[in-house]
This record gives sequence, structure tokens and C-alpha cells, in this order.
Amino acid sequence: MRERTRSLARRLGVGHAEGVEPRTAAANFFHVSKSYDAGTYALQDVSLELARGEFVFLTGSSGAGKTTLLKLLFAAERPSEGQIVVLGRNIARLGDGAIPALRRRIGVVFQDFKLLPNRSVEHNVGMVLEVMGRPAKEVRARVFSILKQLGLQHRRHHHPLSLSGGEQQRVAIARALVNEPEILLADEPTGNLDPELTVDIMDLIASTASRGTAVVVATHELGIVSRYGKRTIRLEQGRIAEDVPAAGSAA
Amino acid sequence: MSVLPRASYFLRTALRGLRSNPVTTLVAMGTIAVSLLLFGSFALLLQNMQSLLDRLGDELYVTAFFEQGLPSAKQRELAVLAATVEGVEGVRIVSETEALERFRDGVGSGAALLEGLSENPLPASLEIALVPARRSAQGMAVVAESLNGLRGIEDLVSGEDWVEGYLRSVALVRGVCIGLGLILSIATMLIVANTIRLAIYARRDELEILSLVGASRSFMQTPFLLEGVLQGASGGVGALVLLFALFRLVLPEFEFGLEMLLGGIRLHFFGLGGMMGLVAGGGMLGLVGSVAALTGGWRP
Repeated sequence: MRERTRSLARRLGVGHAEGVEPRTAAANFFHVSKSYDAGTYALQDVSLELARGEFVFLTGSSGAGKTTLLKLLFAAERPSEGQIVVLGRNIARLGDGAIPALRRRIGVVFQDFKLLPNRSVEHNVGMVLEVMGRPAKEVRARVFSILKQLGLQHRRHHHPLSLSGGEQQRVAIARALVNEPEILLADEPTGNLDPELTVDIMDLIASTASRGTAVVVATHELGIVSRYGKRTIRLEQGRIAEDVPAAGSAA
Repeated sequence: MSVLPRASYFLRTALRGLRSNPVTTLVAMGTIAVSLLLFGSFALLLQNMQSLLDRLGDELYVTAFFEQGLPSAKQRELAVLAATVEGVEGVRIVSETEALERFRDGVGSGAALLEGLSENPLPASLEIALVPARRSAQGMAVVAESLNGLRGIEDLVSGEDWVEGYLRSVALVRGVCIGLGLILSIATMLIVANTIRLAIYARRDELEILSLVGASRSFMQTPFLLEGVLQGASGGVGALVLLFALFRLVLPEFEFGLEMLLGGIRLHFFGLGGMMGLVAGGGMLGLVGSVAALTGGWRP
């Protein structure tokens, strides 16, 4: 019985039944399907592994399942079939009470930013650290630092509605990065940026991968995908149509 | 994770929540204050009536009036006899002259009326103090019954009817206090619950984002609980201020009537414990109200 448990745990990428983290995988999908209505699949039989420090582009047309896959990764959705292990936790069996702790280890850049319009940029970014119970002084310092990296330090007291679309997007990115997450998920993070800023932002996101953060960027901008030459997973009607490894890496 | 940053966050968020809907917050606090003022008024009345009852315990006498012209020797004889009755703690003879002096002191300026009298109309009497166990309407009646019919005693006054009536009044006020307290507690909790529900609705976007970035349910709920407590406690403070103002400014206008009702006792405001109780009670009702709001359909 114990051997069976160990074997299953190894398959799922966890150390043992209580969920010790795997050494390399940030996330594993095992034959995952997600359906909202009976018979209509947003994702179907998806299996993949995301290593720590790996940068992955997720491409595909609208409705291909990119956003659903991202939502499954931070437990905003549960799989209808299959198993997903993220940072050592099995999403399919994760209790509601355990989800917040998992989410605190994952940064997410939402397509619609999800910023609070009546709060300052500083508050919007700092709320992630406040949720983690960091002292106010540390929150201010870390928020200033990340805003400076994104060229927004002078805007920290402004409200999002007084910022341009590109600036709002950078605030959303700052919020996702401020707690140095183990996984960064970005849904069209450069959709509102001009070409020059797009490169800057993508360089910043790519640099987080080089520091050990697993990064998944959902985008339909193929120009960016080809520029960075990273692993690219193309989804089509909820299935993985293509999984192209990073340029120069073994397939 | 330190407790202090979290406590600071919760307090800041709760205060910001209260400030963000000033009208709703003030209306809720005002309504709670009025509710607690009503309850506090009856509680204060009850407290004073109760303290009069405690004080009266030491002053409850059975008075036996001697027949007019009863010789002193006979009076002393009756006093010795009365002292042996079960339940009697002590006896004291009040002479005609002392009775007149007491009457003079009691009526104040009305004493001028006595000037026209050619002789003292007041009889001598025997003041019979009771042991603590008999200091009640029933105990007084038992002692009075034992002395009834003794030769030389013309009349017995024990005040048992007055005490019985007073006890009924205290019970009535206590009943009103409990009933009012229950009704107003429910009303206060409903007010807080509705205010918190509105606050949750107004901040649903913030709650959604907090949930997405990893805030636990308790992290999101605590500021709302604190808001409820602050609303209730503020209402309690408001009620206390209003009650004190009424006690100081309005009560003197009705002093005469209240003295008649309460038997000349000096009225006292709540002590520190009572005042803290009213504020803490408001806070507690606020907490229960916000818990009701959060458990009824909280889905961040």
C-alpha cells in the first residue's frame, strides 16, 4: 500500500501523500480536461510539464483554451478530468482553505488588469505583500523598487484611471512580480503596449525566468514569440496542437 | 508573518471602509446610539431603583404607635416585650417631642403650619428594627402580626404595602429593560448586518482581487468584523454621551417627581463598569451583526 502511494506520488510529481514539492517541476498536467457544459470542452486531454525557471509561450486563437489553462494553474478553476500538480499541490484535490497559500506563490497578470480604480498604484501593487503580512516599511520599499524597474515610480500615488493603458498594464505586471513568485502567469501582458515598451516588458518577464521563476505567457503576438525563441505550446480547440521546445534545447 | 502588520492592515481597511460610506455609517451609528440610549435609560432607572431597595433594607422599621398618654413605664414595658419577638433586631422609643421635631425637619418650610397648634398632636411610638432576614414586605408583616393586639398599642404601621408596590415596580422596570434590550439588540444587529452587507457589495471588486492574489477568507472578513465592532461601539459611546447629557441637563427638571417616585434618593449615573458595559455591549452587537452579514451569503 505504502509503495503504491509512493509510486502515485512520484507520478504526480509530489514527494509523498502530504505533498512535498518536486525538485524540478513547477507544474504538471496529467490528461487534464475542462468542460463547462456537458460535452463542450475548453481543454481536452492536456498533458504537459512546466519546469522551474522555464519560460513558455502559450499561443492559439481566441477560445483555444489559453486562459482556461492559466486559470487551472492558479486554481481559479478545477479540472473536470485528470490531475494537475502545481508547486507540489494537487489542484483537483486541493481544499478551498489551501488555495490562498498556493496563490501567494504565483503571480498573475490578468488580461483586464484587475486594478482597483479608486486606490493608488502603490496600494494596488502593495496589496499582494499586505496579504502576506509584510510590514508596511518593507511593502513600501519593495513596491517602490518594482515600480522603478517598470518606470512607474513617479506614478505610485496616482490612481489607475489616470494612467494610460500601457501604464496600467505595467502596474498589473508590477503587482504580479512584487512578491517574487515561483510561477508567473501572464495573459496577453503586452496587449496594450507600444512595440518599444513591449520589448522592455518582455525582457523583464524573461529575466524573472532566469532567476528561477517558471513563466507562462499567453499571447497571440507571434512576433514576440519568434523574437524570444522560447518553448511554445500552441493550443487548438482545447488540445495541444504543438509543443515546440526552446531554440537550442533538446526536444 | 507578523501579527502587527496584519492588525494595522485590518484597522486601516476597516476605518477606510467606514469612511468610504459616511452617510450609511453615520445613519447606522446614530440608530445604534438611539437604541442603546433607550436601553441605557431603563438600565439607569433600574440601577437607581435597585440601589434604593438596597438602602431601604437598612431602614425598614415597623412602627408601633402608643395610645395617647400611655405612661413611660408602660412604654418601656412594651419596648422590652417587643424586643423579645422573633425577627426583631432592636427597639427604640420615640417620644411625642421627638416625633414633633422629626415632623418639623421633614416638612421644611411647611413647619409654619404647626405654629397654630396649642398642643402636640403626635403620639409617642416604638420603632422596631428587623433582623436582615425579616427586611422584606413578608417579614414585616410577620413581625407586625406578632405585636398586633397588645394593650397600649393603638396602631401598627409597617409600610409593607409600599415595599410590595415598590418591588413590583422594580420587577416591571426590569422586565421592560430585558424586553427592550432583546428587541433593540435584534434591531441593532440587523442594522449592522445590513450596513456590512452593503459594504461587502461596494467592495466586491477589491475582494475578488484580494482572493486572486492569495488572501484567505479570514483575511478578507476580518476588516468587516472590525467595521461592525467599531460601528456598535461608536453607537455605544454616542448613547453614553446622550444619556449623560440627559442625566445632567434634563433630569433636574423632573427632580421633584422622581424624588417622589424613588423616595428622595439621590440619583447616580453609571459607574465605570456600567459605562464600559454599554460601549462593549454595542461593540458585541456590532460583531454579531457583522458575523450574520458574513455568514449569510459570503462568497468572495
